[in-house]
Amino acid sequence: MILFRKLGLTIVLLSCHSVAFSQTHENRIEPISSALRAREFDKAVELSRSALRESPNNAQLWTLQGIALASKGDSKEALAAFQQALNISPNSIAALAGAAQIEYQAGNRDAVSLLNRLLQLRPGDPTGHAMLAVLEYRQGNCAAATPHFEKAGELLDSQLDALHAYATCLVKFKRLDDAVTVFQRAVALHPDDRQERNLLASIQLMVHKPQDALATLGPLLEASNPRADTLELASNAYEDSGDTPQAVSTLRQALLLDPRNVSLYLDFANISFAHESFQVGIDVITEGLTLQPNADDLYLARGVLYAQLAQYDKAEADFERAYELNPNQSLSSAAQGLVAVQANDLDHALRSVQSKLARNPNDPLLLYLQADVLSQKGADPGTPEFQLAMRSAKKAVALQPTLAPARAVLAKMYMQTGEYQAAIDQCRKALISDPKDQTAVYRLIQALRKTGQKGEIPDLLKRLAQLREQATKEERERYRYKLIEEDTPPRPPVQP
Amino acid sequence: MTFTRRTFVRLSLGSAISLTATAERLLAQGVSTHTAKPLPRQAPSGRPFNAHFVDVASAAGLHAPVIYGGVESKKYILEATGCGCAFLDYDNDGWMDIFLLSGTRLEGAPVDASNRLYKNNRDGTFTDVTEKAGLRAADWASAVCIGDYNNDGFEDIFCTYYGQNVLYRNNGDGTFSDATKAAGLLNEQPRWGAGCSFLDYNRDGNLDLFVSNYVRFSFEHAPVPGENNNCNWKGIPVECGPRGLPTGRHSLYRNNGDGTFTDVSRQAGIAQATQSYGMTVVAADLDEDGWPDIYVACDSTPSLLFMNNHDGTFREEGVLRGVALSDDGTEQAGMGVGIGDYDLDGHLDLFKTHFADDANVLYRNDGKGNFDDVTRTSRVGVETRYVCWGAGIVDLDNDGHPDLFLVTGNVYPEVERKLPQYANKTPRAVFRNLGNHTFEELIEAAGPGVADARCSRGCAFGDFDNDGDIDVLIVNLNEPPSLLRNDIRGKQNWIKVKLEGVKSNRSAIGAQVLAHYGGKTQAQTVLSQSSFYSCNDPRLHFGLGGLTSADLDVYWPNGLHENFKHLPANQLITLREGAGRVPSRGWSKT
Repeated sequence: MILFRKLGLTIVLLSCHSVAFSQTHENRIEPISSALRAREFDKAVELSRSALRESPNNAQLWTLQGIALASKGDSKEALAAFQQALNISPNSIAALAGAAQIEYQAGNRDAVSLLNRLLQLRPGDPTGHAMLAVLEYRQGNCAAATPHFEKAGELLDSQLDALHAYATCLVKFKRLDDAVTVFQRAVALHPDDRQERNLLASIQLMVHKPQDALATLGPLLEASNPRADTLELASNAYEDSGDTPQAVSTLRQALLLDPRNVSLYLDFANISFAHESFQVGIDVITEGLTLQPNADDLYLARGVLYAQLAQYDKAEADFERAYELNPNQSLSSAAQGLVAVQANDLDHALRSVQSKLARNPNDPLLLYLQADVLSQKGADPGTPEFQLAMRSAKKAVALQPTLAPARAVLAKMYMQTGEYQAAIDQCRKALISDPKDQTAVYRLIQALRKTGQKGEIPDLLKRLAQLREQATKEERERYRYKLIEEDTPPRPPVQP
Repeated sequence: MTFTRRTFVRLSLGSAISLTATAERLLAQGVSTHTAKPLPRQAPSGRPFNAHFVDVASAAGLHAPVIYGGVESKKYILEATGCGCAFLDYDNDGWMDIFLLSGTRLEGAPVDASNRLYKNNRDGTFTDVTEKAGLRAADWASAVCIGDYNNDGFEDIFCTYYGQNVLYRNNGDGTFSDATKAAGLLNEQPRWGAGCSFLDYNRDGNLDLFVSNYVRFSFEHAPVPGENNNCNWKGIPVECGPRGLPTGRHSLYRNNGDGTFTDVSRQAGIAQATQSYGMTVVAADLDEDGWPDIYVACDSTPSLLFMNNHDGTFREEGVLRGVALSDDGTEQAGMGVGIGDYDLDGHLDLFKTHFADDANVLYRNDGKGNFDDVTRTSRVGVETRYVCWGAGIVDLDNDGHPDLFLVTGNVYPEVERKLPQYANKTPRAVFRNLGNHTFEELIEAAGPGVADARCSRGCAFGDFDNDGDIDVLIVNLNEPPSLLRNDIRGKQNWIKVKLEGVKSNRSAIGAQVLAHYGGKTQAQTVLSQSSFYSCNDPRLHFGLGGLTSADLDVYWPNGLHENFKHLPANQLITLREGAGRVPSRGWSKT
């Protein structure tokens, strides 16, 4: 925040200057100001002390002393001087700015109240907004920071850290398009900053603009030594833009550069999974495990791929290993139950989930799975099993309100008990978490029909049809390519 | 701060769930996206099941195999979907004859490949009269529907094919003529006709025709096993589709009353449904407004329910009425459809069959054409092992409670070599109705004809030996058909109803009968197609249990309502529209 400091000082000087010249009769002010402008800070300090002995209640003199001390680097004394000024004149803009500046530089939370007071007096002050935004961001309060970032305007265009913080907050609030714009400003400010380019590309991928991401990454990819993380992002972008061969090739390049990077193997697993090339994915992850034998994520991913080939024993062994390596990983503890579900062994699935729940009774994923397995086992309303399923699902959504699949199970059970309004509520909440949830839309249609609330149904039918169409289109894109073993003669990809 | 897409997915979705959902979809690849776990089985009821099925096809003279594609593996989906069969009385002697479709092979049809018409010899055997009847044909046949389209008193046959569908007009002398061109039913281009059904959608007394189409297929452009992700099943290269192949277009042909038809698909609102792989078609008045509606089981896409607007048009309401998708809103691999009244509430329910790893679904009709999925509560969901095809809601043991029957068979014969749990030949299954809205699955307990493992497709229900119970004719791919004779035990009563239209179409297709017995009401309707691509005995059969009579309400397609009281059990009742009871043909074996 170096520039904020400079700008802050400028504000203070200008403020004092104007204040000084508004009181021309104070002939003690001008020499101090002159010394400050001449950067003769020791002299300014001496002059101010002398003047203050005669006029100890002069806020301007305290302020000038504060500026001189701050300029010398004596922040503690400077802050004391500004505080004296504020005691005398609480609305002194110069003193507020000076004090806020020092508190801000020290990362002190007290700067917030000073800046808020300053902004009450000067609502449009971009520096005040910028500093306040950064302070709020540092406190993890993006909700408070974001409006101030917005009001800081173009001032941020010279502040990489501030732009970075601003964009991060926007991502947090899922304002991804806005985040792209801010990261673009960051990249424009520092075109050679690899991290900012990577971040911009990441967000561009999130907003499904893979070609933009590739353009962003272009300078880094054209460099003589692109890094693995950049190549990983480029691979994601190629895959998203439908160029799977290039995605795989780029990912392999990244793996050569960074063969111990677990994330790269997981990316490979994802591509293999999406293109139903399960064995290829298993082979690559197995290679990764030779270098990273304790990577629980790799076992988890390989287990998922084994399950797709109906090799449930191997899948379960991998999930067990993942769980041993990281018992706190909710996913691996749930995976064993999931594979048992996939193998149609619901009793085994239930045992597995319940054993894990005994250790983690508040794991929403496990609670959801317990409800789902019980429901799939055909628990009838009124039975203890049904009641347990209902309790589990309710607890799961209480613990994790965004867990849409748990809401789907809950809605299903409400439909079974004839509590259609409650089912409607769950469907609506599920759709807030995932607007593309076809199950929620379908159940909502059925529940509304049951309750005679038909007005909304035509739009929901259209929405369901659109979601299905979109899903089909996405699937078609995903199915365009299949990864093949390298020793298999290559065939051109075929459009189904 | 480092973002990757995967990180965000994992953080925001709890990936395992989405991953598993995706995995289930991927595992299904070219077929349906929906899977269901089998419900736990209840303890056996211990109640005796009086129906007992024995395959008598060979003894009955049904020796010719139903040729259909490769035996060990299939290159194209065209080889896999198979075909249907029909019980019909083509010579009006009162005995059910048999019509069996057949296919061909990629390398060309074997010499003896043909659709076959078997005349009932009234002694438990049949005579192959295919050549004499002029019905020899060896091509990629799909479905058959039966109806007297020209109201001349003889049942005609419509067959769908890959390429060109064919209308066989019954000449009334034991022969048939290809009337396709004369009727105006020639395609401009080859199409893959799938399900079909005669129906009188405009209630003018002439049978119109609905034809579903499966996929737009051509050998030139069809991908081959393993070529893309729609050509793999559980990691094994298999024939491709239907997903990934272009969807078919369904057609409605209006009968002009002069032996010709006009394609009214567009103006009737049928042509607008473009995103479905249509299979079996059933036409019945599902909302009980007196006008026939059309239900199309669709593979891997939402099934379609065309509701009749009474003005020559239809509106598609499958999703709204709860019969398009699974209970979680996912498309299923709809193959066959049984239609009947399982819960004896006087309304027609639907039973739709699906692919392996999914449950067949039972839909309960509220009488207004709104359906509830009762698969779980009825315990039909205990079975998910097989690829299921032909099906019916039929009272097999004459206890007055309609049971469910289905046939099965894989579409990937090569898969069992790597995954033995997915056998190519699999048994049939009976779900006996326990009378409390639940069913109990029986396989061995229903007789060797049910337990017999075959790769089956269509099946038709009818009483071929006129002994007062329901027998089953089954198409087995690349093998002779099965004819399951029902050797029913005990003294359960029944009544059988044959309807003859006068103002309504002569076949009385679309007529609905409510049988009242023992304080219960069972609905049945005369159908031109159901099961899988097949046509049942048009005589409606009601088991009565220990009761000795029944009352009937008959709702004729043209709107006439008649009722008949105290009809004695254990006989065929023939009713002519507006004329009441008339003598039945051919019931006596003499």
